[in-house]
Amino acid sequence: MPIEQEEQSDIAKVRFFAQGYHVWRGRAARLGFFALLIAIWQVAASLELWNEVIFPHPKEVADAVVLGMRDGTLPLAIQASMQRLCMGYGISLLIGIPLGLLLGRKRLLDDTVGSLAVGLQALPSICWLPMAVLWFGLSETAMQFVIIMGSLMSITLSVRDGVKTIPTLYLRAASILGATGWRFYWYVLLPASLPAIITGAKLGWSFAWRSLMAAELLYVTSGIGSTLMMGRELHDMALVVAAMILIITIGLLTDRLIFRFVESLIHRRWGFGGRG
Amino acid sequence: MTMVELKNVSRVYLGQSGPVYGLSAFDLRIAEGEFVCIVGPSGCGKTTLLNIVAGFEPPDLGEVLIDGEKITGPGTNRFVMFQEHALFPWLNVSQNIMFGLKMAGIHKREREERAAALLRTVNLSDFSTAWIHELSGGMKQRVALARALIMDPEILLMDEPFAALDSQTRDTLHEEVELVWQRTKKTILFVTHNVREAVRLGTRVILMTAKGGKILREYPIDLPRNRYLEDVEVVKIASQIRDDLRHEVLRATKEEGYHAD
Ligand SMILES: Nc1ncnc2c1ncn2[C@@H]1O[C@H](COP(=O)(O)OP(=O)(O)OP(=O)(O)O)[C@@H](O)[C@H]1O
Ligand SMILES: [Mg+2]
Repeated sequence: MPIEQEEQSDIAKVRFFAQGYHVWRGRAARLGFFALLIAIWQVAASLELWNEVIFPHPKEVADAVVLGMRDGTLPLAIQASMQRLCMGYGISLLIGIPLGLLLGRKRLLDDTVGSLAVGLQALPSICWLPMAVLWFGLSETAMQFVIIMGSLMSITLSVRDGVKTIPTLYLRAASILGATGWRFYWYVLLPASLPAIITGAKLGWSFAWRSLMAAELLYVTSGIGSTLMMGRELHDMALVVAAMILIITIGLLTDRLIFRFVESLIHRRWGFGGRG
Repeated sequence: MTMVELKNVSRVYLGQSGPVYGLSAFDLRIAEGEFVCIVGPSGCGKTTLLNIVAGFEPPDLGEVLIDGEKITGPGTNRFVMFQEHALFPWLNVSQNIMFGLKMAGIHKREREERAAALLRTVNLSDFSTAWIHELSGGMKQRVALARALIMDPEILLMDEPFAALDSQTRDTLHEEVELVWQRTKKTILFVTHNVREAVRLGTRVILMTAKGGKILREYPIDLPRNRYLEDVEVVKIASQIRDDLRHEVLRATKEEGYHAD
């Protein structure tokens, strides 16, 4: 008997390490890929295939990043952008998730407010900027308004669609288990639509991020978007590319650190899809 | 005293292939404490019957009375064990079992005690923290049984709950259901494909027509309780019902043939 048990625990160990191996191989592959891209960029730049004014050398970009970090302009820009984003996006989540849950359940509300949301989603959120500036001036509120208009609809509609596709069986089970009123929304509808909520949150995040960058490019005097604009005005291509890389990095990091984490939690429970 | 009463209940589905009668002019009276088993060919309306008694679907005609009162929707006095397990994937095994008690506002300590006891009953104590997708089909059905029993409903509606189980597990759960029924005198409406299972458990077996959603025949089962699937008497009655069932299926197939011509 003890031998069998030992064998079993060996198998478990092998599986465990195999999983770890997959995770690390994935990370190594990613790192290697980006290193390769930079290497190609480096080689191409040193061959002087193009004028440096059009696209900078990797070293110049790195210098721009280091300089910006040292003199505090980049951290300040990141902070300003992230603050706006978190406020606007947070409000979108706070309104969009409950609204989506309601729209998924209440037919009349969906026929009215739901159609409005679908309509508004067709409008790129930056189109709200002139009006927002008129109402709120060139203020943080105007920025946040644009972010909210950019992300609220996609969050709401994703959650609504998620609610509508919850299997009838779960809803029936909920009704005989005595989940009624707010309990039904909190303990059944919300967790049952969690996969859809994550999808909506991701979509909403990317819309919020785009809206913010567009708004900062156009009107504001702080944030990563305006850093980019400043680079253009100063003909400092290195700064422009540095800001672009920063925008990409923040996007990747958010995806990796927040959304992937939440998704993996859900996959563990639901047991579908998932990576590794 | 009548506990469940269906009066002239009809339910039509307007499906892609034309109207289908789930139930038509269906009359049934179930007394308190009865254990009624429904058998019938696949697609004859067994699940429809349970759905209507549960209150998930309103009848198109007729009414369902519980204790003389017309039902208008689902309620916690009736619990359903669905044909598919219907456990919540976002909760683990014991959270699923305790869910109904939580909704009823029962204290955490008591919830956990009762769930632990039921987990022992269905032999799943080692899996109390497992996620639902980590269980086999039979294990899921056992969790669903525990979730049903913990609700302690007056009426238990079961839709082929043990179809996916191996015979040992099924025997154990038969005994468990038998015990619960004898102890609490619940009213049970039990749907099954397995005629012998129906005879082993029921105080009455109802055979439905293959089509049209009607009762073909009823069989009172007056054998002493604590029966076994292998009891000679059980086998005898079951084979008679199975003969009737076979004739019914043959008749329906022939009829279909005529229509096709
Ligand atoms: N939602 C629906 N839409 C259309 N037709 C339906 C619907 N639900 C059931 N039916 C039809 O009603 C009839 C009875 O279905 P029901 O599910 O009650 O059968 P059943 O006796 O439970 O069958 P099984 O033993 O295979 O579970 C079937 O012919 C089915 O096609
Ligand atoms: Mg069925």
